[in-house]
Amino acid sequence: MHRSKLIAFAAATSALLAVGLGGNAHAATPASGTAVISESNTFLQQAALSGIVAVPLPSATAAYSSSTGLSATFPVTGGTASLTVLYGSIQLGGSLLLVDAGTGRAVTFGQLAFDVDTFQITGVPQGSTTPVALLDPAGDLSVVPSGAVQTFQASDLDVDPAGAQYLDAQLRTGFFSGGQSVGSLTVNFTPAS
Amino acid sequence: MRKTAVVKIVSALAFAASAVTLASGPALADPPAGTTPAATAIVGVGSDTIEAVFNQYSADYTGTPKLYSWDATGTSPITTKTGATSITRPNGSSAGITALNGTTDTTIDFARSSRGLASTDPANDYFIPFAKDAVSWAADATGDAPANLTTADLKAIYGTCTITKWSQITDIPGYTGSTNTIQAYLPQTSSGTRSFFLGAIGVTTPGACVETTTVEENEGSNTLLQTADALVPYSVAHYIGQVYGGHGSGTDVQGPLTVRSIDGIAPINTTTDVINASFATSAYGRNVYDVVRGTDWNAGNAHATALKALFSNTGWLCTNATAKADTASYGFLALASCGLVQHN
Repeated sequence: MHRSKLIAFAAATSALLAVGLGGNAHAATPASGTAVISESNTFLQQAALSGIVAVPLPSATAAYSSSTGLSATFPVTGGTASLTVLYGSIQLGGSLLLVDAGTGRAVTFGQLAFDVDTFQITGVPQGSTTPVALLDPAGDLSVVPSGAVQTFQASDLDVDPAGAQYLDAQLRTGFFSGGQSVGSLTVNFTPAS
Repeated sequence: MRKTAVVKIVSALAFAASAVTLASGPALADPPAGTTPAATAIVGVGSDTIEAVFNQYSADYTGTPKLYSWDATGTSPITTKTGATSITRPNGSSAGITALNGTTDTTIDFARSSRGLASTDPANDYFIPFAKDAVSWAADATGDAPANLTTADLKAIYGTCTITKWSQITDIPGYTGSTNTIQAYLPQTSSGTRSFFLGAIGVTTPGACVETTTVEENEGSNTLLQTADALVPYSVAHYIGQVYGGHGSGTDVQGPLTVRSIDGIAPINTTTDVINASFATSAYGRNVYDVVRGTDWNAGNAHATALKALFSNTGWLCTNATAKADTASYGFLALASCGLVQHN
């Protein structure tokens, strides 16, 4: 398949899945906010060429812009954490499906979280109870509090070495590598009050 | 806590323990005598708690321009570098931050801070955490104080003054205190350790029973503290650096003081000689920071590059093996979010 078609397929698949499966209202939680992973076009193209598709599943949502690429928004569902004091873990709703179109294999991560202590985004693979470190914030990192809202931004978001190893093994691909840039991350977090 | 987090913390503790003996180069207080830092040097002032580790960083950093750090105490005023305006030596985190805000990079490039960003700090103050510390309290090893105090006890001692004698402490099992009057000391008013400790125990304004004379923080050499009935907040990392890292000297020593538990949690893991993980994750754990001007950080010039080469998440403090060994040797824990920028 032509590269541009693959990219369009990946984006469309993400959007369709998000729309088709989305809409679940999540219960009220003591903490609120969102974590937005913006997938760079560079990564999206590389992934598409390798037959890799990453799809956020409800209650996460997806969006696509030709200028900024694919973005996945995960709602904050809980957690005791502070991005100003830098401790704790922020729990995220939805899940993340990764598919290798070449091998036909897939893995879904649930119980997604931004672990502030270890500074990693983690997820628990379906059928497992052990979290896997998936992504590491990198690049320019900043936290700006405004009232109760704490906004964290990472100009870069890299695949964690443990996540790369796990994904390569599960999908039987050699696509992933530790430190591989995926895009960027923005977290808006309002702690429980 | 999840397994990955536990593994990382255990790994960090193991690294910290193994690194205690690594940092051994000379760490001089202030720039070496007879040396005036160049105008382009990266120069810092402020916190007492992290001055010793910054002296070690200064000795070990081989990048250009060089790194210099002025202690919290010593002769004053000081001319921090070539061409600088002479300033009163800042003693403490807030004093350092105030000095940073009142000067330009021709005088000060960063402030050392053991307190975090406050809502009242100017938006141009960028707080950059580089390690984790904790604050407990210390008392003379042969004195009247118990091995443990609760947060409620500390609030009653430092805030409400509802406990003024050791015998009034009734929530520590097996402890019967003397009827002697407690001498509750605090560090100087611009101390980050002071403000953090008072915040952690829920005290806004110290009570009238607190000693009006303040003491230089983390100095057990002070004879005011070498009595049976004195107690004082103390940086756990600084204590570890003094006792286990061999970095105490002059007045910067623990003397007869020992750091004690709060709410039954020991501040130090005496097997590994590092901050107890459960104490570090309690309300008494804190981060320590470099503070720079946002306008300097974002200037896009050689000065900004020099600041980022030292303090950013990919900079020397966060990534260099020698710097990490220095951090551990002086008792601080590694921080996964090292180099992140916080500002209003």
